[in-house]
Amino acid sequence: MATHEQAAPADSPRPAIAVSGDGDRLALAGVLDIGTLGEARKALKKTQGSLDIGGLERLDTPGALFLCNLRDKGVKLTAVRAEHQSLLDLICGLELKPLPKVEQVSRWRQIVVDLGKGAHDARHDVLDIIAFLGRAASWTVSALLHPSCMRPAAISRHVEETGVHALPIIGTMAVMIAVVIGYQGVAQLRPYGGEDFTINLVAVSMLREMAVLITAIMVAGRSGSAYTAEIGVMRTREEVDALNVMGIEPMQVLVVPRVIALVITLPLLTFFADMMGLLGGAGIALGLLDVSPLQYVARVRQAVDLSDLFVGLFKAPVFAFIIAIISCMHGLRVKGSAESVGRETTRAVVKSIFLVIVLDAFFSILFEKLDV
Amino acid sequence: MNARARTQDDSILSARDIVNRFGKQVVHDKLSLDITRGEIIGIAGGSGSGKSVLLKTLIGLREPDAGEVLLNGKAVASIGASERASLIGVLFQQGALFSSLSVAQNIMLPMREHTALPVEEQEQIAAMKLALAGLPADTGIKPPSALSGGMVKRAAFARALALDPKILFLDEPTSDLDAIAAGGIDALILQLNKSLGVTVVIVTHDLTTLFTVCGRIAVMVDRKVTVDTPDMLMKSDHPWIREFFHGPRAEGAMQARKTSHGI
Repeated sequence: MATHEQAAPADSPRPAIAVSGDGDRLALAGVLDIGTLGEARKALKKTQGSLDIGGLERLDTPGALFLCNLRDKGVKLTAVRAEHQSLLDLICGLELKPLPKVEQVSRWRQIVVDLGKGAHDARHDVLDIIAFLGRAASWTVSALLHPSCMRPAAISRHVEETGVHALPIIGTMAVMIAVVIGYQGVAQLRPYGGEDFTINLVAVSMLREMAVLITAIMVAGRSGSAYTAEIGVMRTREEVDALNVMGIEPMQVLVVPRVIALVITLPLLTFFADMMGLLGGAGIALGLLDVSPLQYVARVRQAVDLSDLFVGLFKAPVFAFIIAIISCMHGLRVKGSAESVGRETTRAVVKSIFLVIVLDAFFSILFEKLDV
Repeated sequence: MNARARTQDDSILSARDIVNRFGKQVVHDKLSLDITRGEIIGIAGGSGSGKSVLLKTLIGLREPDAGEVLLNGKAVASIGASERASLIGVLFQQGALFSSLSVAQNIMLPMREHTALPVEEQEQIAAMKLALAGLPADTGIKPPSALSGGMVKRAAFARALALDPKILFLDEPTSDLDAIAAGGIDALILQLNKSLGVTVVIVTHDLTTLFTVCGRIAVMVDRKVTVDTPDMLMKSDHPWIREFFHGPRAEGAMQARKTSHGI
């Protein structure tokens, strides 16, 4: 005698399944569906002989599949209701094959495979970047030589989105960075009585390095990702293919305006960040050093010369070019799915910030050697 | 299934005095619709007539500005997530298969969330649903991006059936499909309705599907619905309905109906 009944949960009364009878003759009553399947399987583990399912009130496809499997094992189903018979016929009639297994690779082997794939991809990546850089540069130059091919509307839209809309965040960040450098400077220089030199520290480091670097990183995260996602979604919706078919070079309409727009805006944003950084420095000077704004201006003019400003501003268009190229390249690499857009956007941002910092280090060495 | 027979005339889903508006534009004005248990009903209408909005309202994704939707006698918005998943299956127009999961994982997802079955059993059920939707088992390990348009629809069908819903909503199940694939989907709908007893609501403007599959058609006109059998709608005086059912494209579909119904 194997009776199995489960108390219904309080919140949603669940219909239950009951097995009765003994030995070779069992009967199933109640509801056999995906919710009660586990119980039924437990109760009928060692069933042989016949199973009366006339008492079943409801049967769904997983339940039918279970009964079909029982029948295949030699259990005889008796007293089948007409409506259940058609469902059983349908499910038992299906040609069922198990899902093929995905091939599992051992963890150690996987590491080696990943390493090899990574190296292979890295090599292709470098070649791709160089090729894309060349193509984009040539299209940009040809657009500059033939101004009629330029798309002023697109360029100005991108200038607005990447430049004007970024002003508040870039300004705030520049002030904050100046405050950070200022506080550190005062704390480190005070023991030597040189805290006044904090002004020099803030002014020079903002103009030469910090302003352009944080602006470039911010723009890579903000506008570079937007470039990749915009172009990527256009690719998933076959808009890029549509351009190709219409005989319009995607490079010319998608990449060149974005590159030009960013090359215009990043130096301007950097200059804005320079000024906001100096403003933050003025705040530090007034608050921590009791230096009045007028004195501060005089000190800054002593501390920096124009070359400091130009060193910073010179780097901006180079960074802009790199960010725009990398972002557009990854946008055009998107294939098919939404997942791919996300992956390429991540790669674009990581790669452009990485390259910006590498190039910045390179520029630092260069300017040191050139004694600028 | 006894229960189904007993309540044959009950409506599984009823929408009462639904009002939907976007700003000043009224899409549905006191629309009422009753869907009978076990039937196949088509929802037809011109572009912009509010078919998709009605579908969203019926499955509880959009709260109407006025009126209520009752599913199995309960307000659809008040039904818990797990119960709703076992009542409603939806085939979205683009399939909406999760691109980060394989087809089989897509089908197993609702089972994993709402049942306590072991994985092997889920896999077995997923393979059965695939076969039910007419797909070979090796489709299961493919990512959705590797499927053709017709296979995407069938895979989405299999996922919509994952928890054996009582009511199945199909949003444009045959759009973007060639005639053979569309015919296959039509046959699949009929077969599932017959053998599983599932109620089917089809939003479509594919006249062939409307004529060959649907027992009743709800036509969306003048911000309301007119529900009737295809034959009665053919005789309607309403100008839009006349044009819809008597246009040049309707003739071929009518022919298909005659063939399939043996009239």
